[in-house]
Amino acid sequence: MMSAIDYALLIPILPIVAFPVILFIGQMFNGMPSWRNAWKEGGTIAVVVLGVVLGLSLSLISGYIGAVSGWDASNASGEVSAHSATEANDDAVSANVGEYDSWINFHITDGDNLISESFGFGIYLDHASVMLLFVASFLCLMIGIFSLGYMNTDEINLDRNHRFYAEFLLFSAGMFGMVLADDFLWLFIFWEIMGLCSYLLIGFYYDKPSAAYAAKKAFLTTRVGDVFLFIGLLMMWNLFNSLEFATVWSDAAIAQVVADGNQGQLHLALGMMFIGAVGKSAQFPLHVWLPDAMEGPTPVSALIHAATMVNAGLYLVVRMIPFFANDQLAGDLSTLALTIAWIGGFTAVFAALIAFVQKDIKKVLAYSTMSQLAYIFTGLGAAAWLLNNGHTTAGLFAFGASLFHLFNHAMAKGMLFMASGSVIHEMHHAHHKINHSHGDHDDGHHEEDHFDAQDMTNMGGLAGKMPITATAMAVGSMSIIGIPLIGGFWSKEGIIASTWKAALTDGGFLLIGPALLLLIGAGMTGFYMSRMWFMTFAGKAKTPVADEVVEETPFIPIPLVILTFMTLGAIILASMHFIGWASEGFGHFSLDIVSGLVHELKHAFLPGGDDSVSSILFLVTMLTIFLSMILGPFTAMALYGGRLDAYKAKPWLQWLINLSHKVNRRSHFDNTAWAESSLAEALDKRLYIDDFYDNICEKWIVVPFANICAWFDRRVIDGAVKGIEYGSQETSTYIRSLTTGSARDYIMMAVLGIFAIFLLIWGVA
Amino acid sequence: MVTEVQLFTEGGQTWEALAPEITLLLGVVMMLIIPNLGDAKWRIPMTQIRLPVLFGGKRFRATSDPQLPAMLAVATLLTALWQAVMSQSGEGQTWYLTSGSGAEANLMLRVDAFSRLMESVFYIALLLISVAMIDRMPAKRGKSLQMKQMINNRRQADFYILLLMSAIGMSIVTMAMDLFMFFVGLEIASLAIFVLVAFQKETPEGAEGGAKYFIVGAISSAVGLYGLSLLYIWNGNLQLLSNSVTGQIGLVEAWGAMDGVGALPLLGLCFVLVGFAFKVSAVPFHFAAPDAYSGASAPIGGLLATVSKAMGFIGLIRVLAMIASPEAESSAVWMMGLGIISLVTMTWGNLAALGSDNPKRMLAYSSVAHAGYMLAGLTAYGAWIGEGNEATTGAGEWILAAILFHLAVLVAFKLGAFLVLALVELDGPITSSKDLAGLAKRDPIIATAMFIFMLSLAGVPPLAGFMSKFLLIGGIVKMSLVDAASGVAMSDLHWTFWLALAVFLNSAISIFYYLRIGVVMFFDAPPNDRRKPLAHAWYIRFTIWACLTGTLLIGLNADFLIEYCQTAAATI
Repeated sequence: MMSAIDYALLIPILPIVAFPVILFIGQMFNGMPSWRNAWKEGGTIAVVVLGVVLGLSLSLISGYIGAVSGWDASNASGEVSAHSATEANDDAVSANVGEYDSWINFHITDGDNLISESFGFGIYLDHASVMLLFVASFLCLMIGIFSLGYMNTDEINLDRNHRFYAEFLLFSAGMFGMVLADDFLWLFIFWEIMGLCSYLLIGFYYDKPSAAYAAKKAFLTTRVGDVFLFIGLLMMWNLFNSLEFATVWSDAAIAQVVADGNQGQLHLALGMMFIGAVGKSAQFPLHVWLPDAMEGPTPVSALIHAATMVNAGLYLVVRMIPFFANDQLAGDLSTLALTIAWIGGFTAVFAALIAFVQKDIKKVLAYSTMSQLAYIFTGLGAAAWLLNNGHTTAGLFAFGASLFHLFNHAMAKGMLFMASGSVIHEMHHAHHKINHSHGDHDDGHHEEDHFDAQDMTNMGGLAGKMPITATAMAVGSMSIIGIPLIGGFWSKEGIIASTWKAALTDGGFLLIGPALLLLIGAGMTGFYMSRMWFMTFAGKAKTPVADEVVEETPFIPIPLVILTFMTLGAIILASMHFIGWASEGFGHFSLDIVSGLVHELKHAFLPGGDDSVSSILFLVTMLTIFLSMILGPFTAMALYGGRLDAYKAKPWLQWLINLSHKVNRRSHFDNTAWAESSLAEALDKRLYIDDFYDNICEKWIVVPFANICAWFDRRVIDGAVKGIEYGSQETSTYIRSLTTGSARDYIMMAVLGIFAIFLLIWGVA
Repeated sequence: MVTEVQLFTEGGQTWEALAPEITLLLGVVMMLIIPNLGDAKWRIPMTQIRLPVLFGGKRFRATSDPQLPAMLAVATLLTALWQAVMSQSGEGQTWYLTSGSGAEANLMLRVDAFSRLMESVFYIALLLISVAMIDRMPAKRGKSLQMKQMINNRRQADFYILLLMSAIGMSIVTMAMDLFMFFVGLEIASLAIFVLVAFQKETPEGAEGGAKYFIVGAISSAVGLYGLSLLYIWNGNLQLLSNSVTGQIGLVEAWGAMDGVGALPLLGLCFVLVGFAFKVSAVPFHFAAPDAYSGASAPIGGLLATVSKAMGFIGLIRVLAMIASPEAESSAVWMMGLGIISLVTMTWGNLAALGSDNPKRMLAYSSVAHAGYMLAGLTAYGAWIGEGNEATTGAGEWILAAILFHLAVLVAFKLGAFLVLALVELDGPITSSKDLAGLAKRDPIIATAMFIFMLSLAGVPPLAGFMSKFLLIGGIVKMSLVDAASGVAMSDLHWTFWLALAVFLNSAISIFYYLRIGVVMFFDAPPNDRRKPLAHAWYIRFTIWACLTGTLLIGLNADFLIEYCQTAAATI
């Protein structure tokens, strides 16, 4: 009987197959009315494929959960077997789905010797991969539906949408494959597929110089990380002679490393791999590509920032955790764990600072992504440190909280990007409409060039006109901020509390830095997310365009509504002990929601049970809530709040508007001095880091080196190739001239051949 | 299960063992008879009573259908294929077929997994060719036909009879346990193929290519036959295996028992080698091949490149790997020679292909290069036997299986490439790569298929061609590590390692000219006389799709075929 796992391979394969199909059909039918309307220029195919993939993923996941929790007895001993995300089980090999998907197999059994070569794709399922698979497949479908509305109603995309959908599918296939891979090598292959697709999609408007530049930047920046990742993988291969998870995580393999005294090399290898993760997940100092990646269409931003690409880096770190958790390496990998936490902590505050001054709605979200991913990195770093130093329970909690934050952030950020896309799209349409109604002014287009549909200073008061978008945006922002009981609250509290817990544990004092930074970052998140919402949706319309906005594009509201409920529903997941489940440390899902909720609330504050530091942790939590829920948002309200003008908001938004109005009237203060200060300018210039890369690094390091490379490439490599080619062509001409076309000559050559063979053989004999 | 059968005296068993061949023979006979059925009557002398004899006279409408031979050939080949496959499904049967009994028994044929595998490959290839030829040499009904069409109609039966005859010859080659039997099979097939090559005799290229191919082929056959006669003088019979009943010593045992290497068997070996080297178009016996490939119609070119070559390799495997296998160091005489031939062949083929502008000649040279790769494999196999089988168990079977695998998958992509050319050829003969220019615009699907065949020929994963090259190189490398028990130092490598390296480097060169076809198809503008979409020709298209499916599926999941090839290799 075929079970879910037999179809699991289809999850990456279906989109990969659909990729050329859409491109191909698109080229053939481009411009035909039915291709544009019924087929949505390939969008219909993409959505159907992603729908099937989601179905397959869900059946795989339910089979897996059933097997793990023992709900489904028939599956418990079946192919889907449970794996802890933090250690390799002995039966982990059974996750490799047998031989049928092993691509090259060559076995010869001869006596006692078995010559066996195989190179295949196996599937590795554990809590982390299952969770991420769901995130990726679910969000990809949502974004696919969103794109039907967003991409196909914009004339600028006409007749090139098939390219978008094809690349979109390949991108998602990269993510699915990466999540399912049972092997660091396959993980890397799919990782690179994603890198390629990010380049293609960010540069979707390749005729726009800024987009082409952004695509190049994203590709090259992540490439820096990838090179390190590859070095790390080679080092790991050198240590283990294998890159399979099951092998490299096994106690035996690690024992061998320890016995050979190679912990240092392993440490270095993991460090190299971590640099790859830093590049992919846009952490300092390889973060520069992420804000520019906004040049792609908004669905691409959602795809990169929520569903796929940035999660890949986190997933890689998740896959490194078993090394930290192994007893034999206890204490050996602390430095890396600390580095992870520090980079996370620093990026969290750094990105939040820059987000303070952004005017572009998508840029705010971009920096928010960086900041939130940094939270997850810090959480993973803390988890790694705790696990590596023997604090298993607390470590697992931190690990679970990080995974949960990954989940919450992906859902909320996907929704936020789509909501921002909705705003931009409608702004754009409204602007178009106004220009159109103004008659046949010749300079209508001229005017259009100056209008920025993404600039929040052009918006304002949209809450009444775009109720669904405004609600989605509000819920998403609350989740990111960590307003109690909503989405991200559960996981963020968990991360902050466990980082503090780690910092307060013996020997963990170096983590106090990240812990403090996270605390500060929480307040900053509260500010910049609220700022974005109030600037966009509250107050009066700042331009006539914003007055004309109507929420009318089809397909766009569907994913927004679904995701709003997803985000709100995270409370149910939380109460089912998701954190414990994700880390496979605290057992299984619980269906007792109420007591679960109380339990989780307590644990969010006090990870790892009650002990001497619990009072400090409680204080920290309260402080976090205060900063993120009170200080940040209220400051933002004071600055940007205000009543709507004509339209009335829906009741569930109205209180927020009214509150902001009250706060604004009472305690509005003038922040012009701040806004014009040199700090603000520095932040606006992204703290000059991009400039540093562009000017100093590029001019003095990259360009000279590039020149050397170019010389080498042109003269030595191309020279050799050309030389060989030229030589081959010459030889080719010569030896073909021996083929005279005369049968007599042929026979003569054959006779010569007979003599040659005869001499050769006779000579040897 | 092994059964010994006395040929033709034990009727039932003979029919069972030789079912595919007998089907083919019946097919030939039917093709001779059925198109000639008519309403002829014979008047009984002295009376007015006319008895219908059904043979001759005005032909019936059904039997005069010019498409009939094609249908008969397809049906015959399908039946034969089905029989060949079925007889090995489940637990494989092995038959030993002897002529006569008791003291006169000679072992003539052996039907086993190997012969059934190769037979199936041959039948599949010929089946594809027959189907493609329905469009390539169309048979049309009607009153007012052009001269060319009437000629085509006339020679339908000739073509398919020749095709089926070559199939019978090839089947005998796969089963022969007696070199004389082998030679007979080879010549049955070869003679049919010589005619097939020259089948387009009204075109100058066809006539010329056919004539050259025949002349050089005839000479190499003669040389090979001379070699066989020397072996016969030496051993007294040409059976491969010894016969316990009659006490005859087979060639295999005789060679093994030899003290040193005698002049007679050595000369014989050399000459036999020459005979087969022509068949596999090894340098310097390949010269006629490009002319033949480009002169013949494309499907026949495909036949030369796939099944005809496979036939030659079966011979080489029998003679070199089976008889003259180097049990003792002194009997490994052919290895160095074959290694050098293989090196020269693959390099020559690739270099010549590099400069060939005519796609058919390019494919011909690429076929020469592929022969070089397989010869390298054969050399390594010989070396493996010579080095003693202990150190690298299984490497030899691996290599042999890789060669068989390569022969089998060639049908998918090399024949596929020729079939694409056959489709393009419908608009006029192909003489240069310009004729393929802009194929992607004229027919994107066919162009993509051609590109995939090219990639597969170049050995790009995940296509079938990659698997075969991977297995071959992997096998040779494995073999060359024979002395390198611990750690790999360069000095420990067996010299066959350099052959593997040569295969690798040659593959790299070959990518250039394979991809050039892709460039021409996708980026160049079609020439003025070839701007219209390709002809519909659904039969050819069907065969192309079949080849494409095979290329992709075998590339993605080759396990079953590899396993079968291993089984077959083990029975050699």
